[in-house]
Amino acid sequence: MDIRLIRSSDIPHVQQTNITNLPENYFCKYYMYHALSWPQLSYVAVDVSRPQKTPYDAPKIVGYVLAKMEEDPSDGVQHGHITSLSVMRTHRRLGLAEKLMRQSQRAMYETYGAVYVSLHVRVSNVAALALYRDTLGFKVGGTEANYYADGEDAFSMRMDLDYLRDEADEADDTDGEVQDEGEGEGSAGKNGEGEAVAGKEKMRKVKVGRQLGVGELVERNEAAA
Amino acid sequence: MAQTNSQILPSKEATLFRHLVQNYETKQYKKGIKGADQILRKHPNHGDTQAMKALILSNQGKTDEAFELCRLALKNAMKSHVCWHVYGLLYRGQKNYEEAIKAYRFALRLDPESVQIQRDLALLQVHMRDYQGYVQSRRQMLQAKPGLRQNWTALAIGLHLSGDLAGAEDVLNKFEETLNQAPSKSDMEHAEAVLYKNSIIAESGDVARALEHLDTISKTALDRLAIMELRAKYVLNLDRKEEAQKAYRALLARNPEKREYYDGLEKALGLNRASKADHAKLRDMYHSYAEENQRADAPRRIPLDFEEGDNFKQLAEKYLRRMFTKGVPSAFANLKQLYSDASKKETIRSLVEDLAKEEPQANGTTGGSHKTNGHHPTVTWQLSINYFLAQHYDYYLSRDLKKAQDFIEKTISLNPSKTDYTFNMTRARIQKHLGNIGAASKEMNAAREMDLKDRYINTKCAKYQLRNNEHQAAIETMGMFTRKEAVGGPLGDLLDMQCVWFVTEDGESYFREGNLSLALKRFRSVYEMFETWTEDQFDFHTFSLRKGMVRAYVDMIRWEDDLRKHPFFTRAALSAIRIYCLLHDLPSRATDGQLNSSSELSEADKKKAAKKARKEAEKAEAERKAAAAKKPQSKADDGAEAKKEDTDPLGLELVKTQKPLEEAMKFLTPLLDLSPKNIDVQFSGFEVYIRRKNYLPALKCLLAASSIDSEHPKCHEMGIRFQHALSKVQEALPSQIKDVIESTYLSKVPKTPLAEQNEAFLARHQSSARHIQAAVRTRQALRAEESTVQSAQKLVESLQLDSITLADAEEGSRLLDEIQADAHVKSDYAEAANKRWPDAAFGVKA
Repeated sequence: MDIRLIRSSDIPHVQQTNITNLPENYFCKYYMYHALSWPQLSYVAVDVSRPQKTPYDAPKIVGYVLAKMEEDPSDGVQHGHITSLSVMRTHRRLGLAEKLMRQSQRAMYETYGAVYVSLHVRVSNVAALALYRDTLGFKVGGTEANYYADGEDAFSMRMDLDYLRDEADEADDTDGEVQDEGEGEGSAGKNGEGEAVAGKEKMRKVKVGRQLGVGELVERNEAAA
Repeated sequence: MAQTNSQILPSKEATLFRHLVQNYETKQYKKGIKGADQILRKHPNHGDTQAMKALILSNQGKTDEAFELCRLALKNAMKSHVCWHVYGLLYRGQKNYEEAIKAYRFALRLDPESVQIQRDLALLQVHMRDYQGYVQSRRQMLQAKPGLRQNWTALAIGLHLSGDLAGAEDVLNKFEETLNQAPSKSDMEHAEAVLYKNSIIAESGDVARALEHLDTISKTALDRLAIMELRAKYVLNLDRKEEAQKAYRALLARNPEKREYYDGLEKALGLNRASKADHAKLRDMYHSYAEENQRADAPRRIPLDFEEGDNFKQLAEKYLRRMFTKGVPSAFANLKQLYSDASKKETIRSLVEDLAKEEPQANGTTGGSHKTNGHHPTVTWQLSINYFLAQHYDYYLSRDLKKAQDFIEKTISLNPSKTDYTFNMTRARIQKHLGNIGAASKEMNAAREMDLKDRYINTKCAKYQLRNNEHQAAIETMGMFTRKEAVGGPLGDLLDMQCVWFVTEDGESYFREGNLSLALKRFRSVYEMFETWTEDQFDFHTFSLRKGMVRAYVDMIRWEDDLRKHPFFTRAALSAIRIYCLLHDLPSRATDGQLNSSSELSEADKKKAAKKARKEAEKAEAERKAAAAKKPQSKADDGAEAKKEDTDPLGLELVKTQKPLEEAMKFLTPLLDLSPKNIDVQFSGFEVYIRRKNYLPALKCLLAASSIDSEHPKCHEMGIRFQHALSKVQEALPSQIKDVIESTYLSKVPKTPLAEQNEAFLARHQSSARHIQAAVRTRQALRAEESTVQSAQKLVESLQLDSITLADAEEGSRLLDEIQADAHVKSDYAEAANKRWPDAAFGVKA
């Protein structure tokens, strides 16, 4: 199972994985909207051990996380949001959901300076709740009534990403000692994060909140997510 | 702006006209129409007003009215850029992009300064991949507004996509030179633009320069992963192995589940899997990653690909123990790829059967650090092993379905969970492989009932129902998870949500039943979905420029270029083409959309099926109407584009087409362009071209198929059919074509009579059911009547072959129908087949 960034060509199978597993479904265009707005944030798990059938086999997607940055955060704090996450039933217990989420969270932090990540989960979805809370470390922030199209309530959950800043700090401190640290990462790490670390600034100003006519593209209300 | 006097409005109306434009832009269509009518009462021939009204009408879905009014507007104001612009917009709405571009060009000629027209034109040019035109448009836009970064980026994209990499880079450099001060570090657009420039340099092949450039931007780039990945790739490419090693190790520290990184590291270390001497080092490398990453699969799984013999055995055992202890349901799926190697297959089997005799405590694998499914470790262990063996014996390369059944029953009896349906799915799957499609569907439904809130099993169940041709049950199953408010009921939702698999399976199911109209309807729906996906890129031509995520945009454009390479398209297209060929061969089929008496369905069955289908469609229609009636009016007064009503829900009009082969070409052309290495695509092309009497393209497909797999039995069949067809028309063919066919093909094949060649082929391939079938089909093509009895007998005999598979036997059964064999031969065939596959439903069609 490979964990890698989503590509446009993955979309048909991500869409199929979604409609196979979850009741909240989206048009192709909504996936494109994610992949083309925040191309660093959405990840897929690909079954690379499948025997090939034709020369044109598409990568078999067995899990995905579809993620975005909140365009106009009401609290003024840069944060990411998980639009949809699912893993095929046949590929459970490999830790794919967690692996997908970790990659996405890191990118939210590195690229957009996200302070936390939020998501919604059906109050009845015990398994998902357990995953987010127990495995991934999300906390329930509250309940949103009638969040889903069928009237069900949602827990709104969030998780702080300061653990990533701590990791980056640590990497900075030990830079030069750790043999594994590649030069590429070393230099990029030092300089890229220098800003956030040196100033102890939680909020890096990143221009993502601009209104870019996104409304037209978001075909299905986010509330359906 | 040259306008005649009648086209100039007095100030009051001019104000009204400005309001009208505003109304259009804010989608206040009713107000807009009112305003337009107000102007037109006094100035009935005012072209611009008519055009604006037409534009609003078209947005309200009144296409014909809109075109009519716009043509009138053009008559009144030939020289109005507004009218031409609107005319273009109307065509664009109809997806007639060629005409739209023409109209825009006219408009632009009349008003060369118009930013809006220029922009609309550019959009269509990039959409239609007219890069030359696009570059030209973007140059003008850049000249008009050089202060805007977007305009520089857009021109660079145009040059890049048209292949002018140096030009693209130059444009990006020029813009950077205009910057007085360095952009802020958080400027996403800038950070992305420099990465884009880097990708262009790399694409030009100058990796050293790309690396040099990368080093200058890695400080400011925000996409850290991209920087790291590019750097690793570049240094490896430049053979700077030490650095490459570090770079790939850094990437693996971030994500130890990506093959590409391990491949890179292997290369950086100078290791080669094909060389046995390197295996010890490779083993160490993967071992250390496995130790470092307790939860990672890749470093444990990859060595199984190259290890052999005892080393393989040791590692495989370790891998299996870990999987069984954790109770990972995909253990078999993760390993089955190795089964193409017979000795690895055997090793795995014997390992697992040995492990089955063990208790997990005995080998200390249940240390408690692993998270399991909460069952007792012994239960997890036993469940996993029995489940693995069930799948092993179900897999086609190691199939023994009796054993598979024993193991799955044992697994299910061990399963302590009432809701975990995993093993019950395999029970259904084994039934499917036994040929008992009905039982498979029932089993999968039973599995579904174990966990009604789970959509995955719901999906599986619907798929199995479709395989068993239970359309109604399948759609009802799907309906448990579709949106209740969806227009058109569950099917409407699935079409809306572009659920390709369901629509395709439903179509294939109708096809099996001989219901060509509904089958074709479904395959056309898949075609439409791909049209929508093509169309979906449109907004991104603007959106991505504003967002500045250029690399993702370019990636999207390239994906869209090859969109129909996707197997989803190929599968539906191949079936659609087969249907169109059938419609061509027997136009009578088009009258009711049903296969005639040669089909396996009796008249009564067909009528029943048709009636059922009609009822389903009526029901869906009623639901759709009810839902539409319930739907509240949308808030922007009439902004929502009215969804067009489907006037042919049963596909009855589709099958009446007078030009089935032309319709087939719509599917075939992208297949041949994008999936030429798929042998079925070439066969499909042959079938269409030979019917269209396009002998050269038919030959091209035939030769392409032979170059993919010359031993494929269909190559023989088509070769003979081609020569046969040619022999009938040869005299009439132009000499040039004749010469080409002679030199590229005929000169290379035997000169003996075709029938003799075919019999010789048959004699040579007595032990392959597929070859026998091909010979039978060929006989049929050469001299239909005389050979039927003999052929039918051959097919019955083929059932005794050791190598024949269930799928072969089913194909033989269809072939008997095709050659219109006698009823008694068919029943002989069914009897013999049922002896061999007692669970399969030969002769008894659902």
